Amino acid sequence: MSEDLSNIKPDKTVDARGVSCPGPLLAAKRSITEVPVGGVLEVLSSDPGTVKDLPLWAKKVGHEYLGTIEEPGYWKLYIRRKK
Amino acid sequence: MADKMVLLVFSGTIDRLVGMSVLVSGAVALDMDVDIYLMLWGAYAFKKENIGKDMEISEHQTLAEKLKSGMEKAGLKPWFESMKALKEMGNVKVHACGAAAKTWDATLENMDFVDDIVGASELVSALAEAKVALFI
Repeated sequence: MSEDLSNIKPDKTVDARGVSCPGPLLAAKRSITEVPVGGVLEVLSSDPGTVKDLPLWAKKVGHEYLGTIEEPGYWKLYIRRKK
Repeated sequence: MADKMVLLVFSGTIDRLVGMSVLVSGAVALDMDVDIYLMLWGAYAFKKENIGKDMEISEHQTLAEKLKSGMEKAGLKPWFESMKALKEMGNVKVHACGAAAKTWDATLENMDFVDDIVGASELVSALAEAKVALFI
């Protein structure tokens, strides 16, 4: 999955590194509206809880979680806006 | 119609108010409506003159400074900063219990974030309608 994700050109990137839960979640919630429907939001987070939290959030609110790339000290998570 | 979360905030200590703001964050992220009912110490903490002084009423007083530095290290905002952002982002209403307000001479003018002052029947009605209800 990481191979494919590395080719994604996100429509917006939000950098929530250094912020604990629920900061990255709220950053994603706030930023997804700035992405066109069908577009991709990239969230950078150093909070390990985000890796589980954002996919769950995306599913609950009707967006598509595309996957996560692990980088040294943080993660890059990809969400496609569906509505 | 959005699902609703109701929080009965009886406590006014920072430890619990941080917990409150985390729960409200989760609910707002999930597009839930949130009703917060401030009871005794909760109403006290939401008075303008007390906001920001809540380290003085930390539940575990001897650990208050450790908690403060730990929260800063974790990048956690103070609960009142989170509350301001959450009220802008979502449908978050804050209600003060009438008896608690009277106890502290609290009014809509001298409290922050509070939308109205209510009685027990409204509180119980909100609980009955809520998908998630928690006592803090």
